[in-house]
Amino acid sequence: MTHPEMQADVVIVGAGPAGLACALHLARLLDARGLSKENIYVLEKGRALGAHQLSGAVMDPRGLEELEPGFAGDPELGALPVKDDALLVFTENHAVRSPVTPPPLHNHGNYIVSLNRLAQWLGAKVEALGVNVFTSFAGRELLFDGPRLLGVRTDDKGVGRDHQPKANFEPGYDLKTPIVVFAEGTRGSLAKQLLGHLRLGGENPQVYSLGVKEIWDLPAGRFPAGRVYHTLGWPFPTDLYGGGWIYGLRDNQVSIGLMTALEYRDPATDPHNLFQAFKTHPFMRELLEGGEMARYGAKTTPMGGWYAHPPLAGDAWLIVGDSAGMVNSQRLKGIHLAIKSGMLAAESVFETMTGQGSLRGYPAKVEASWVREELWKVRNFHQGFEHGLWAGLFHAGVQQVTGGRGLRARYPSQPGPARMRKLGTLGDPPLMTPPDGKLTFDKVTDVFHSGTRHEEDQPCHLLIAEMDICNERCVREYGNPCVSYCPASVYEMVIGDDGAPELHLNPSNCVHCKTCDIMDPYANITWVPPEGGGGPSFG
Amino acid sequence: MILVITETKLTAPGKFNPASLEAVAAAQQLGAALQLPVAAVVLGADDAALAGELATRKLAKVVRLQNPALGAYNPDVWVQSLVQAVSQLQPRYVLFPHTYQVRDYAPQLATRMAGALISDVTGFRVENGQPIFLRPMFQGKWAAEVAFTANSAPGFLTVQIGAFRGDQAEAGAAAAPLETLAVTPGPSPLHAGEVFQEAKQAVDLTQAPIIVAVGRGIKEPKNLDLVRELAAALGGELAASRPICDSGWLPMDRQIGSSGQTVAPKLYLAVGISGAIQHLVGMKGSRTIVAINKDPEAPIFEVADYGVVGNLFDVVPALVTALKNQA
Amino acid sequence: MKILVCLKQVPAKDAPLKLAPDARWIRDDVSYEVNEPDAFALEEALRQKEAHGGEVVALTVGPARAAQVLREALAKGADRAIHVEGANAHLLDSYAAAEAITRAIAGESFDLIFTGLQSDDGGYGQTGVIVAELLGAPHATIIMRIEPGGDAKHIKVKRELESGNFQYAKLPTPAVLTIQSGINKLRYATLMGIKQAKNKPLAQVSLEEIGVGPNLNRQTVLRLVPPSKRKGTTMITGTPKEQAAQLVEHLRNDVRL
Repeated sequence: MTHPEMQADVVIVGAGPAGLACALHLARLLDARGLSKENIYVLEKGRALGAHQLSGAVMDPRGLEELEPGFAGDPELGALPVKDDALLVFTENHAVRSPVTPPPLHNHGNYIVSLNRLAQWLGAKVEALGVNVFTSFAGRELLFDGPRLLGVRTDDKGVGRDHQPKANFEPGYDLKTPIVVFAEGTRGSLAKQLLGHLRLGGENPQVYSLGVKEIWDLPAGRFPAGRVYHTLGWPFPTDLYGGGWIYGLRDNQVSIGLMTALEYRDPATDPHNLFQAFKTHPFMRELLEGGEMARYGAKTTPMGGWYAHPPLAGDAWLIVGDSAGMVNSQRLKGIHLAIKSGMLAAESVFETMTGQGSLRGYPAKVEASWVREELWKVRNFHQGFEHGLWAGLFHAGVQQVTGGRGLRARYPSQPGPARMRKLGTLGDPPLMTPPDGKLTFDKVTDVFHSGTRHEEDQPCHLLIAEMDICNERCVREYGNPCVSYCPASVYEMVIGDDGAPELHLNPSNCVHCKTCDIMDPYANITWVPPEGGGGPSFG
Repeated sequence: MILVITETKLTAPGKFNPASLEAVAAAQQLGAALQLPVAAVVLGADDAALAGELATRKLAKVVRLQNPALGAYNPDVWVQSLVQAVSQLQPRYVLFPHTYQVRDYAPQLATRMAGALISDVTGFRVENGQPIFLRPMFQGKWAAEVAFTANSAPGFLTVQIGAFRGDQAEAGAAAAPLETLAVTPGPSPLHAGEVFQEAKQAVDLTQAPIIVAVGRGIKEPKNLDLVRELAAALGGELAASRPICDSGWLPMDRQIGSSGQTVAPKLYLAVGISGAIQHLVGMKGSRTIVAINKDPEAPIFEVADYGVVGNLFDVVPALVTALKNQA
Repeated sequence: MKILVCLKQVPAKDAPLKLAPDARWIRDDVSYEVNEPDAFALEEALRQKEAHGGEVVALTVGPARAAQVLREALAKGADRAIHVEGANAHLLDSYAAAEAITRAIAGESFDLIFTGLQSDDGGYGQTGVIVAELLGAPHATIIMRIEPGGDAKHIKVKRELESGNFQYAKLPTPAVLTIQSGINKLRYATLMGIKQAKNKPLAQVSLEEIGVGPNLNRQTVLRLVPPSKRKGTTMITGTPKEQAAQLVEHLRNDVRL
């Protein structure tokens, strides 16, 4: 099939904070020189700006203040200053407020923002400057000539479940461009293709946490806007890293969530269910009493830190934001880093376009900036927890006084699924919290509240390399952990026609969190973007 | 007075649209609440049977509009004829059943007479002597209370099919007086051809008054015949929850739910459907919901009017037999 | 053929709809999309243009955010767009909305005016027919197909009626048609189309300018209320035969089978 071609000057894949910061900064640099922005394209797989943006979120203003000074005063964005914060330690029945909030979790000076709204706000500015932002268009494939990146192919539209073109079929565009900025967020599918094709990676493998979130409407005055609580402890056993959050939003809404490190040993670990359990804690139950769940979302976050960053630039490409793993896992903050990296990328792109430099200058810019300064200090933080909570706290303490080094220059790390144990090697499976439909919900009900929608008649976007592995090996060895780790009930084991268990997929439930791409113990699942426009609507 | 505009059924000569009786029942209820008499208008081909039926109901009179042009439906002819009838009879309210035909001409009639048409009414209440009408909004997710503004008279309204019961159209103590009114509609620029039947490519479940929906409980595609029989016995359309369509056992245009169609038929029978929220949002506006499921905890029972906990492979055949016997 | 397509922006199908404080409408903070039947009307107009040449103009009556449906229409191939803007457009009844449309296009003459069958929010299904009345033009509703009608000034349409019945009708242009959903496959906007849409004319006129507001309403939504509550579930017990018999009895009484 032929794909129509379009020449582009720059293609930015992803309209999250990193991609939009890059586009906005670049547009301004070009404007100052009177250069054209006609052929700068931002691709966004979501139906609308912000649709796939999900976070808690508490943002360090540093990055956005550079990009948009005075942002805090703009009611359109509605950034809420953090008024008070605390760390709560949960045991099964109690919540103890930590007398001292650890400095990394001090949030004074930070802002609670809706990432969805941030993307809309930035996106409007980007579009106002005349940069093309194409929503409902996914970057599906990369175009290579050997190791040379030539451009990005967008998704084919109108392909049926049987892989045949439907009446309204439109082939994806081959965007030929000398510059691609990968800003796809966590576990970017094109970034994965790029690094795979070029056999590149970070010194440590990237590791992730899965955050499961709900927004609740609460009775007036229950939880003040601007209050930020983080929780440690229950429901996590000490060998499982994770924590929860409660952020007070406007209009008597709260954002609550739980992050589970995707490095667990028990294959039956179900992060969605852990979150449901979290809500049954007496503290949470009291908080949510009389309230109503309004929205749901789930997304992974890269936690590997500095040593897990892949190479950040090639001759024709740059990686920014979460796609590069630029998250401070200690402070649980990445938006400011995404924005700053996007801006630095824009400078490199601008220099490249005007012949003053090349994209390969970008990593040096990152090294010289506060991005590195901040991430260097926490470079071994997450890895310190790989042997449990107490070990982690110990290492964190040592790292604090050694400028982040800790006991060794680089703490080694394993990819998440490597830690998964086989069936029969662990004790009893975890206790599941049954949904009651009022406080706790099943996955399908939650997915409904994420606004997730996909064109039903399209090929399945979860590519299973070998179905036999799922139905014959995994079912015996790990018990099909996908059924547990997927927060959207995409994966189900059903009894097939022959009476044997088989994997059944519900791809239209997918909330684009990428957990399956990360955690499959056989690396049997590849997540690719479904037809553009599908997915959640986190607004 | 309240005037009911009735409709002769298009494709069955001598057979009138049963929705007309529903409109009469609604008008009588409104009339009782507002202390207004009710009269009916009959127009269209083969209106004699309808007029005769209406005369048995409690009506102030039944007015047959006469003109050769009324032999075949045409929006301009209908509007002009009814403008004359309404101007002559001076009703306070004009009521129609919410049929395809009414939707085609009633908004024009109302506008021409400087009035408004409140469509798809499911109920009403009276406040300070003024009626407030209830109608669905946002595909049944909410309902709206709507009133005519002070300056629109007469008030036109269509009543939702099945919202009122035709068998509750009160019978009259004596035959209602029959009148004829000769109307003089002008020529119409629109020329309509014959009405014909066609097996539709895609089924429009939103228009089906009875739907039998099947879910995972059916286990295998070959068992669908069982449910088809039930649908046929009820005179309803077959529909399904998403997993059935996902597996290709039924085409996607049969799917009910957030990623399929939203329906609100007068009867929805859910067979072997658990009732996940994605499905419920597509059908919970149905007038009467019956659920058959072997799991007593299935969420479908929360929205059902009638619940049958049992094995569908036993219950459905028994139901088909019972329906055939009572027919 | 100069075709006007009237499009409405409505809350996204699966958006949770919460009541606004005054209970006259829903809260604004949901995601929006084009009314699905209108998308089919646009698709039909674009196909007519492809087959017979001409111009397709997209029009919407709505607040500032409704411009999105016009941009999408332009991206799909409409030639120009008209935004009749007003923050309180949702308060207009079908009559006032029809007035807004006819006043906004005064001075222009279209061969065909399309609307969708009805809107997913209000669902009145009247605006198109009222536009026809205001323009003194013939109309036909629930249209499945449009063909040339023998000469340049006539079209032949296929109308859908109840219960699988259909009818052909011939009418002169200018005419107003309300288009049935699902009659064709909606095209996707292409990257090129989206890019080119930016250069297509998008005219704006305010409701105020053309003297349209809720004061023109002939009916008014007093408030939104929850849909009628179900009375509770009657569980039918017994053997399957007994259950079937009881159920049939209930259905006869309740549903009038």
